[in-house]
Amino acid sequence: MASNYRSRSRVVGIVFPYIFTLLVTALTTGLLFVLRSSINPAIVALLYLLPVGMSTFLRGLGPGILAAFAAFLAFNYFFIFPYYTFSVHQTQDLLALLVFLVVAVVISQLVGRTRHSLEVATAREHEAIRLYELSQSLSGLRDERGIVQVIAQQTKETFQADRVEVFVEGGKGRERINLQIPPVEFRGGVKPSLVVPLQAVRGLVGEIRLWRSDPSLVSAEERLLRTISSQGALALERAWLTQTETRAKVLEESDRLKSSLLSSVSHELRTPLATIKAVVTSLYSGEIEWDSEARQELLAVLEEETDQLDRLVGNLLNMSRIEAGALQPQRRWNHLAEIVAGVMGRLRQRRIARAAAAAYIFEVDIPEDLPLVPVDYVLMEQVFANLISNSIKYSPANTTIKISAWRVDDDTLLIRVSNQGLGVSDEHLERIFDKFYRVTAADRVTGAGLGLSICKGIVEAHGGRIWAENLPDGFAFNFTLPTDWEGAPPRVTIND
Amino acid sequence: MTSQPHILVIDDEPQILRALRTILTAKHFRVSVAARGEEGLALAAAEAPDVIILDLSLPDLDGVEVCARLREWTQVPIIVLSVRESERDKVMALDSGADDYLTKPFGIEELLARIRVAQRHSTQAMGSKKTVITVGPLEIDLAQHIVKRNGVEVKLTATEFKLLAYLAANAGRLLTHRAILAAVWDPADVDRVEYLRVYIRQLRKKLEDDPEQPQYILNEPGIGYRFVMED
Repeated sequence: MASNYRSRSRVVGIVFPYIFTLLVTALTTGLLFVLRSSINPAIVALLYLLPVGMSTFLRGLGPGILAAFAAFLAFNYFFIFPYYTFSVHQTQDLLALLVFLVVAVVISQLVGRTRHSLEVATAREHEAIRLYELSQSLSGLRDERGIVQVIAQQTKETFQADRVEVFVEGGKGRERINLQIPPVEFRGGVKPSLVVPLQAVRGLVGEIRLWRSDPSLVSAEERLLRTISSQGALALERAWLTQTETRAKVLEESDRLKSSLLSSVSHELRTPLATIKAVVTSLYSGEIEWDSEARQELLAVLEEETDQLDRLVGNLLNMSRIEAGALQPQRRWNHLAEIVAGVMGRLRQRRIARAAAAAYIFEVDIPEDLPLVPVDYVLMEQVFANLISNSIKYSPANTTIKISAWRVDDDTLLIRVSNQGLGVSDEHLERIFDKFYRVTAADRVTGAGLGLSICKGIVEAHGGRIWAENLPDGFAFNFTLPTDWEGAPPRVTIND
Repeated sequence: MTSQPHILVIDDEPQILRALRTILTAKHFRVSVAARGEEGLALAAAEAPDVIILDLSLPDLDGVEVCARLREWTQVPIIVLSVRESERDKVMALDSGADDYLTKPFGIEELLARIRVAQRHSTQAMGSKKTVITVGPLEIDLAQHIVKRNGVEVKLTATEFKLLAYLAANAGRLLTHRAILAAVWDPADVDRVEYLRVYIRQLRKKLEDDPEQPQYILNEPGIGYRFVMED
């Protein structure tokens, strides 16, 4: 139905200019006929050039020539004596008629050529605009789907196609794309009217398929289609190159992380192992008689070093869980004060940690009426332990380490572990929570550089946020914790 | 009971078995070892040990399952061993009948203390239960529902007393959140850890010298509570 209607309208489109020409000529003839007695034939001939020129200008060369001949005949029939015949008696009239015909045809051709040049120029301008739009919309795109969408859209608009399908072959690390506009499920059966390859530098990457009622292309259209396909192919290739580059960068980065993990971990593992081996072999050795005090000292070192190894392995395990997204807090309602008290208790238990901690003044300021928090006790304890251990490492002895907490709003607590250390410059503030990141050189302070990034992982797994901040008289770690769990506060009644 | 208490160790790590056998023998225990779950179950039936030390990760059976199968026929004290990161396994083992747990790596003094508590409980289970429990300045009369601190009566609400009585009656033992909630509140409330947090805090305020550094009602992170009875 649609194509039927379309072909009929095209026939009308071809025939109409000629009918228009004949009508204009007839109208001119009518007007001149009324005035025949008062104007002489020379003027009439001149006036007849008007419809000829007008037809050519408005409707093209063909209708112009037709107008010339129609005017010639009408002039002869109505205005050259004897009237109402095509015969001519006077040589002079014959000459006038012939001159008229030649002039009319020449004018038609001149006007027609101008008109044609104008048409070509306009078409070129359209083409240029289309190409500009195409390259504009392709230039910003980095993903294949977007590029394919633009190619299909532009092709459809430019060629007034009924349907456009862009097909891109899949390959190494890239997916196969098949996009149709309009998006119909209907496939098969009807063959596309046109198929254009998407030819990139490294070979054929796909094709554009086009359905429209007129399968032939004029040369300008062909040129435009080729440009669209080559621009599209280039854009696709550029996108793939960018992706490959990004992948390479990610690999490089993870490689760098792995090697820094290996170097830091092997250093951290070897140090306690070296100590353990030295202590054990010396206790074994029959050559030295250890007095009981020295023996106790060696055994204390042994125990502390094994604890150190245990903590490191625990940190690594937690880190890998956080990395793999497998850290699932076992949330329970807990008192923050109880968790902090537990951490402080543990700190007092460990022999060497106790010695280190003894050099600091600990202050705990957690209000009595703080609501319960839905957290994993063990993981939260680890957060506090890591933050405290970090504070001990980076602040001078005999200063205060303070743990405080308060409500910031109805459903959030803010917890702060602050110390009187030197603080860090602003550019490090964000990055100290990155894996293996250290503000100072690795060999000056022990630790694998995992503690803070584990804190970050744990706090975020609880729906909180962690950040560091320089205070006027020191340095602070802050983190938030939600006080509702699955949108609800705890169901507790304090009294019976 | 023979003069030498008998301990069965079920663990698949030869080095751990070797170390425990040496240390426990030196501490005058009779030691049997099993490297697999089925073997451990068979030995438990054949030798009737006084205490079982059970590793939760075994090559053939799940440690939790071993616990459950032992509990089908014996009340022998079971101490489970597991690595730090598996709180959930520990709780499952405790809820399916284990008496206590130790986190690897552990100090041998801790293990010996746990064995002592376990032994005391198995003898207590056979003998009559005490109705008055005295710990430091605390005196808890389970029959009369009276609690005294330094000889002065402490007023407790009904729920507070019920909770304290349950903890004290199982003094030294590790009680999981679920076990306490089921016994003191209701089996339907086993996941309401917030009740426990609030009431334990109240009890500590009334009974402990420093509620922030409790001496009697201790927290076992992620697992439960233990009422400590001084040795």
